[in-house]
Amino acid sequence: MKNLYRPIESVIEDIKDETPNIKTYRFRPKEPVTFEAGQFVELTVPGVGEAPFTPSSNPNVTETMEITIMEVGSVTDALAKMKVGDTVGIRGPYGKGYDLKDFEGREILIMGGGVGLAPLRSLILALFDDIDKYKKISIRYGARTPADIVYKDLLPKWEQMKNTEVLQTIDEPHPDWKGTVGVVTVLLDDLPLVTTVDVESLPFDPKTAIACVCGPPIMLKFVNMGLLDKGWNPENIFHSMERNMSCGLGKCGHCMMGEYYICKDGPVMTAAQVAKFEDPF
Amino acid sequence: MRGVGPNAHIKREGWPEMKEVFIGRENLLRLIGRWAKDHRVYVPVTFDIMNHEETPDYQLVGDEIPEKLCLEGAALAHTPKSFLFYPREVVAKYPSSDSEAEVEAPPTILVGPRACDVRGIEKFDKVYWSTEHFTEEYDDPFVIEKRKNTYIVSLDCTAAKDSCFCTEVGGEPFPKGGFDVNLSPIEVGFILTVGSERGEKLMAGSDDLVSEVQPNHKEDRDRQRNSVIEAVKRQNAEYAVDVAYEKHELGEDQDAWAHVTQNCVACGACNRACPTCTCFILVDQRAKGGYERTRNWDTCLSIGYARTGGGGNSRPNLPSRLENRLRCKYEYSRDRYGLVTCTGCGRCIDVCMGLIDMREALKHVVTEKAKA
Ligand SMILES: Cc1cc2nc3c(=O)[nH]c(=O)nc-3n(C[C@H](O)[C@H](O)[C@H](O)COP(=O)(O)OP(=O)(O)OC[C@H]3O[C@@H](n4cnc5c(N)ncnc54)[C@H](O)[C@@H]3O)c2cc1C
Ligand code: SF4
Ligand code: SF4
Ligand code: FES
Repeated sequence: MKNLYRPIESVIEDIKDETPNIKTYRFRPKEPVTFEAGQFVELTVPGVGEAPFTPSSNPNVTETMEITIMEVGSVTDALAKMKVGDTVGIRGPYGKGYDLKDFEGREILIMGGGVGLAPLRSLILALFDDIDKYKKISIRYGARTPADIVYKDLLPKWEQMKNTEVLQTIDEPHPDWKGTVGVVTVLLDDLPLVTTVDVESLPFDPKTAIACVCGPPIMLKFVNMGLLDKGWNPENIFHSMERNMSCGLGKCGHCMMGEYYICKDGPVMTAAQVAKFEDPF
Repeated sequence: MRGVGPNAHIKREGWPEMKEVFIGRENLLRLIGRWAKDHRVYVPVTFDIMNHEETPDYQLVGDEIPEKLCLEGAALAHTPKSFLFYPREVVAKYPSSDSEAEVEAPPTILVGPRACDVRGIEKFDKVYWSTEHFTEEYDDPFVIEKRKNTYIVSLDCTAAKDSCFCTEVGGEPFPKGGFDVNLSPIEVGFILTVGSERGEKLMAGSDDLVSEVQPNHKEDRDRQRNSVIEAVKRQNAEYAVDVAYEKHELGEDQDAWAHVTQNCVACGACNRACPTCTCFILVDQRAKGGYERTRNWDTCLSIGYARTGGGGNSRPNLPSRLENRLRCKYEYSRDRYGLVTCTGCGRCIDVCMGLIDMREALKHVVTEKAKA
């Protein structure tokens, strides 16, 4: 029988600094590892351990995979010390991808906080590949300080894409920052609370628009409340849930939330699925 | 929920339609001896370790059947899970380009699982070997290969431990299915029930050891079974609640959970002792020629269990973790697998150094919930 715990050797082909503690790595697995936007992989640093990450590269590129990773602990710190040419392990993909067919013809709001924009990048790139199929793509991104912004070089390019807007904020005022200031939920201020106005004049149609949200738990909580208050359909709000994961296979139990295994039923869960939990994030 | 997937052939129920024969004690020992020629056979034996001399546990049969063989009483110290899902096991060596799993699973016969243990195995079948919930690529070779090579020779309980409560969670102190062979101790020997094709294989060539079951044998067994049912029910009357076990909604009342958790020290003994605790953690380390990944039993009571990178924790305090353990048994497994996964074996009560009794805990939270 196939061994589902074996990591597939993957060579680090490139490392790019995004912020002082976030890097984007490009890996070349020795056996093909393909994924859909929204799915994740388990990355092994040999002898140190594994951690789950959602690739940040375009799912339509299959020979290599990029992952944008923040240093927060044992595996991520050990990875940060590795160099181009070193070997890591990858197994996966796991979990469910976004159903992009279902997104067609709709407005798509993409909300990222901090390194949370990384998992959303693979979604953004997949959407860009078929940009005519979607009504609008609105990327809204919050970081702590200007230095903490990831993809500094890509954001201006994304803004140039058809039907696409990019809105940004930082948490506190900063001399180098001319744009919006405030936690990421300020980027929802243009969405009116009471939808008595003509739907045509709204930035999003709350009945049909899709929201894909990824960031720290506190951000998910407030974005969730904000969108529900503004009349969004809970079936259309997709949260990337952060849970401790060991196996990624629906077996080890670490990611369990009620009867859900986040690694298998998620990692993206709708606001409707998590509604019954007192404090899901 | 039942009857789909690669383990659908396992008859979880079926008694009393199954084939039954009588076997005397001496012949049973001969039968075990025959099995031991080409299987690893584990039998229940009483051990004299400190104050545990009363709790039997498994021992490997060597050239002779152990003198202290004990086919009476209730559940053994260990659950069958120790044989299907090792406390620590190498699951990968890397770097490696070999995609096949290397599993050691010698043919093994376990004599001694009780009804609560046999029910416990069903949880393993759901999590590790079931395309009802997972597709084939999620099959776990390390559990499945052992499961396929392990024969279950279960036993009726002839007495209850103080902590037994199988009758309160939909069970009985004797299995109705899920075994290959079951033994019902009676006055003059045993009624041996064949529960599967695998069980028939175990019995092939041993017709000389068995005879027809007599009506008085069955009467004796019924009497025996009923007396244990009564004993279990009697000792659990004080823990009774109004809500049927399969309808438990234990709720999130933090005060109620804090109350029942007072004496918990998060040692995880309850998880390890439990026939349905399936959780693990993967740990990597250096090894000869590279690295190895081991799979280790884990405990949901530990603070690190749900901790996420950067310091978040969805269950930061002990009451929320004990709440999770009980709700996993009574609510979450039911909602996901259609199985209440507390089988009432009582082991978590036996081993808890904080003297926490799951039955009291359950009664407390259910009663507080009803008040709210
Ligand atoms: C689906 C998914 C996608 C993700 N995508 C990304 C991404 O694209 N980019 C990104 O940067 N991050 C991502 N993350 C988060 C990332 O997985 C974590 O940052 C990572 O697991 C941290 O690993 P670490 O070993 O460096 O951290 P550590 O905190 O050292 O350890 C990781 C885990 O080990 C456990 N642990 C640590 N210390 C102890 C201890 N003393 N006792 C017991 N247990 C302990 C913790 O429970 C912790 O969750 C994602 C997470 C998930 C679930
Ligand atoms: S055995 Fe008792 S003290 Fe130990 S973790 Fe379980 S409930 Fe807590
Ligand atoms: S929770 Fe306790 S009583 Fe129930 S099956 Fe597990 S160990 Fe036995
Ligand atoms: S990570 Fe192991 S069950 Fe989800």
